[in-house]
Amino acid sequence: MMSPDRIRIDVPAGDERRVESEVFRQLAAIRAVDRSDAVGARRPLPWFGFAIPAAALVALAIVLGSVVGRGRGAAPVREASLVVTPVGGSSRFTVGDAVIDAGADTSVEIQQSGEGVTLVLQRGTVDCDVAPRAGRPPFRVIGGTVHVEVIGTRFAVTRIGEGARVDVTRGKVHVRAPAGERLLTPGQTWTPGESVATDANDSPRPTPAPVPAVTPVTPVTPVTPAPPAPPVPPAPEPAPAPGPDAPPRPSTRDAFAAAQRLEATDPPRAAKAYRAIANAHDAWAALALYSLAELHAGEVATTLRELDELARRFPDAANAEDGAWLRVDVLRGAGRRDEAARAAAAYLNRFPQGTYAVSAARLAAPR
Amino acid sequence: MTLTLVMPTAPASDAELLAACIAGDATAQRVVFRREYPRVHATVYRLLGNLRDVDDLVQDTFIAAFRALATYRGDAKLSTWIDRIAVRVVFHHIRARRPTVSLESVREPGTTGALEDQTHAREGLRRLYAVLATMSPDARTAFALYAIDGRSIAEVAAVTGTTTVAAKVRIWRARRTVTRHAEADPVLSEFLTSRQEDA
Repeated sequence: MMSPDRIRIDVPAGDERRVESEVFRQLAAIRAVDRSDAVGARRPLPWFGFAIPAAALVALAIVLGSVVGRGRGAAPVREASLVVTPVGGSSRFTVGDAVIDAGADTSVEIQQSGEGVTLVLQRGTVDCDVAPRAGRPPFRVIGGTVHVEVIGTRFAVTRIGEGARVDVTRGKVHVRAPAGERLLTPGQTWTPGESVATDANDSPRPTPAPVPAVTPVTPVTPVTPAPPAPPVPPAPEPAPAPGPDAPPRPSTRDAFAAAQRLEATDPPRAAKAYRAIANAHDAWAALALYSLAELHAGEVATTLRELDELARRFPDAANAEDGAWLRVDVLRGAGRRDEAARAAAAYLNRFPQGTYAVSAARLAAPR
Repeated sequence: MTLTLVMPTAPASDAELLAACIAGDATAQRVVFRREYPRVHATVYRLLGNLRDVDDLVQDTFIAAFRALATYRGDAKLSTWIDRIAVRVVFHHIRARRPTVSLESVREPGTTGALEDQTHAREGLRRLYAVLATMSPDARTAFALYAIDGRSIAEVAAVTGTTTVAAKVRIWRARRTVTRHAEADPVLSEFLTSRQEDA
């Protein structure tokens, strides 16, 4: 039996002219929005079909003067940029090889120097996908009193009161807060209301609620009012691995984790496990329904049925937007362009500043 | 009224081209786009295995690249830097989707000759990417960049942001998975044999 080393695959031609035209159309729109009103991204610009997402993407208050015209290979120079997203909008940007998704109503300052990259989250949420840092400059996120040192991972940081919530999807991050330190691994969440272990590898020990060590940046527009102590994480979606102070939900959590593991090896059993969770009526059920729909994404009718069920039973679930977009994706994948366009329009109607608004606008636009 | 026609001229060097791009010069950006597009398109296609989302992802790559160009430090070739963005864009895309392709055989009946060969090749390709879809995005990306896109281990490491050792291990594991499936699947095996490139 041969072992494949190099495999020759013929690459069909792409639509270069269309892609080029679309790239520069969007870049021009972004520049126009930048010029016209950098901060005014909070209000829509009706003369561009895609101005709202474009504004959400870039215009905002992007202060990138620091990096333009920069010398190369010079001694470390401290540079700062600010990205602000509008209420209901979002923005994706890159810092070096890191991809950052800034959620709605987020203000994040990006500091770059010879010592690495630091994101100072003043309000909102950043979802970071960062390459492993071995041999690379450090990458840190500071959310009030919470400092997150990245080891190479995908994670999200959400400002809550004077601290921040940290959710790790992949890799590891080191969280340092006034009450101590902790190493978070995939699926783990740290919230400001929870205790932290003083040693990164210890199991968490109960300690008093953290006291801010530094004065946090005053949010211009707070995402939430100052929460009472202990703060409650704002995300309605349950964390796969709640913090040590969170109420234990071992059975559902473990069942969900088991279903996730089964996806790679035994999809039918994973589907059964998800269905069992989905038949309940808690927040895990919405999560399981979405996972079920994703798992069945190759079976269009089944997926659509499950997405219908998700929308009917949990219309306001945290993953409602993901569900709406999965519908678009599945229909598009099945070549059902008209239905995909209608689903994209429905998505845009409900989530005009959503994560996929740019793509939805593109799909929903008449051809 | 006097009209002066100014013809855009291509900047003389890469450094000038880059500076012009950073300054927002659309002509320079188009020069970069046209120079980099074929490779980015091919890489994205080879990572995905189908044309469905290629144009969208290539588009996202260039928009992200031009927006982030000011952060390009010149510590890698511009092409490598753009490839890195492309790989991350595709990686996000792959990770957001679950395997949706069946590993089962789908023989199209009644085909003969060249058409049958073509159908067979298409089915082989589909099966290869069905196997890749079962892997972790890390392994799939590394393997596709190395084995299908023809990059060296060092390049794979550079564009995926990992070490050469890690890249090598991912490729090795992915290759072992492909081989295992091919041993049980004559169509895939035949496809791989016919598409094997001389080392």
